[in-house]
Amino acid sequence: MDIIQSVLYGFQVALQPINLIYCFFGVLIGTLVGVLPGLGPPAAISLLLPSTFKATPVSAIIMLAGIYYGAQYGGSTTSILVNIPGEAASVVTCLDGHQMALKGRAGPALGIAAFGSFIAGTFSIIALTLVGPFLAGIALHFGPPEYFTLMIVGIMVLTFLSSGSMVKALMMAAVGLILSGVGMDSISGKYRFTFNIRVLLDGVGLVPVVMGLFGISEVLENLETEIKREILTAKVKNLLPNLKDWADSIWAIIRGTILGFFLGIIPGGGAIVASFASYAVEKKVSKHPQEFGKGAIAGVAGPESANNSAAGGAFIPLLTLGIPANAVMAILLGALMIHGLQPGPLLMTRAPDIFWGTIVSMYIGNGMLLVLNLPLIPLWVMVLRVPYYLLYPMILLFCLIGSYSIGNNTGDVIIMLIFGIVGYLMRKFRYDAAPMVLALVLGGELETSLRQSLMLSRGDFSIFVSRPISLGFLIIAILLLIVPIMTQRKRLSRLET
Amino acid sequence: MDRADRISSIFWLCFAVLVGAASYRLGLGNLHKPGPGFLFFWTSIFLGIMSLAILVRAWPKKRTEGPEGPEETIFGKQNTLKIVLVMTSVFLFAIFMETVGFIPVTLLLFVFLLGIIEKKSWRLTLFVSVLVAVISYLIFEIWLKSQLPKGLLGFLRF
Repeated sequence: MDIIQSVLYGFQVALQPINLIYCFFGVLIGTLVGVLPGLGPPAAISLLLPSTFKATPVSAIIMLAGIYYGAQYGGSTTSILVNIPGEAASVVTCLDGHQMALKGRAGPALGIAAFGSFIAGTFSIIALTLVGPFLAGIALHFGPPEYFTLMIVGIMVLTFLSSGSMVKALMMAAVGLILSGVGMDSISGKYRFTFNIRVLLDGVGLVPVVMGLFGISEVLENLETEIKREILTAKVKNLLPNLKDWADSIWAIIRGTILGFFLGIIPGGGAIVASFASYAVEKKVSKHPQEFGKGAIAGVAGPESANNSAAGGAFIPLLTLGIPANAVMAILLGALMIHGLQPGPLLMTRAPDIFWGTIVSMYIGNGMLLVLNLPLIPLWVMVLRVPYYLLYPMILLFCLIGSYSIGNNTGDVIIMLIFGIVGYLMRKFRYDAAPMVLALVLGGELETSLRQSLMLSRGDFSIFVSRPISLGFLIIAILLLIVPIMTQRKRLSRLET
Repeated sequence: MDRADRISSIFWLCFAVLVGAASYRLGLGNLHKPGPGFLFFWTSIFLGIMSLAILVRAWPKKRTEGPEGPEETIFGKQNTLKIVLVMTSVFLFAIFMETVGFIPVTLLLFVFLLGIIEKKSWRLTLFVSVLVAVISYLIFEIWLKSQLPKGLLGFLRF
């Protein structure tokens, strides 16, 4: 009953005209970001974060969340029509989606991607509505040791699932943690690592860092090589999949939805992993695996459902525990903090408008996306024709204005540009930026909970193993560290023999 | 990737040493009451160990079999000059933004990027530059009230 009342309250918040407008702009921009190759959701959200400073927190979060799940919808369009994934979670969709397009079936491919996304998105939001309060209730019993170990698990999962070397991912998490220490220490009042530079006194801001790491560095990487786009010139028709298409893809949608949701919840999981996992599952269970890669509709329906479901699932650890599941959620966590909110189990009781308003806005946003996506496909195809020489100066300008408007000083702009170079070099030297961002966001809380735990236990580290939840989290963290080492050893010994 | 790993690991090792020293100076405290440098000191030690692991793994091994191929380049055939020029222009934008003002520096930035770097026609360059400078000012200053610097055009009071 409580949930029904809360959902109704959420509708009351989300249906306010101003929030509807923010939701609409969020999903519209999200779809646009998904469509445009060379601009991913983390970059877009960090670019637009400063523009929400004047909005109320609930409107801001509704819009930023809309960009994230909207991008999952839009990403499929470029994958299918151009064979270039609009964003990383749609990489797999290229395999069969573009093949379908080449066979003159771009319409059903786009259609099933949109319907699958809608079904999966709606499922994950319903699950979020039901699971969220339950998890938040459990998390209310957490003390500093539980929070500390949970945050360690979050960082470990993200490094475990990092695209490259795990050692490098751990290093980046350490760098993020160090960056989070810049500025005034809240316990002793001492300034740390500021080197008397005025702009560092308040710490390294999340917005300039993510804008640099994701926005500027993405532009620099794209400048290296021209993006070649071969847009399908034939008219896209028959967007509604026929009965056979539905029969071929309905189970893929269901499997993708469930798989994506659970992978989305796990910190470090998220849409990219979900889409790849779903494709692998579909190929394995299919009676005609040889058709995959040649235009199998299940190869589009499964991953597209999985990435949308994961996008919804990723909100669970953020809204209930205050733990971001991926880089985008880390930026959203930062956005909530900027708006004076502390995500975590108390968010539901202290700011129910944010919690329920955001969740319910996703139902509305999903509906908007279904309406937006299919009829506006010709518009998205036109957008794809915007040449990169016009696009990248705009992205740069957005980053420059965005970082300046945080505090109206050029210091933040310089920090953003420095992190742009750092991010570019990290890409060149194959270091993943996501663990750094996550550790930067969690660093402050992590340090406070560590110091509080040690003060509570009078310097006894056994506090982390004597409490069952905290011990459980530690075991998971250790397993995440050991498993890759063990599997690597096995692989090496197999190679030697 | 070995060469790149050697370079990057040496960089992070130096970074770890600097952070470790700075954290030590801040005060480590004790386990009962950890000081402001406590977490970062141990984090820097961890970072140092990880950097060493990468360095050792990437260290050139003695040749046991035939000649190795040429070592890969980190910044190979890419448009490095273009990247340097673009970054220089945005740094200059940041430096002169407050004194010169948002509209003039945006105009100059776009003229430079489109006209000089991308070598587009001057008609297109000027058209896009003016359009972007004016529209972005209207959106961010008038609509979103971002308080962009007016600089040289401050006397116009718009």
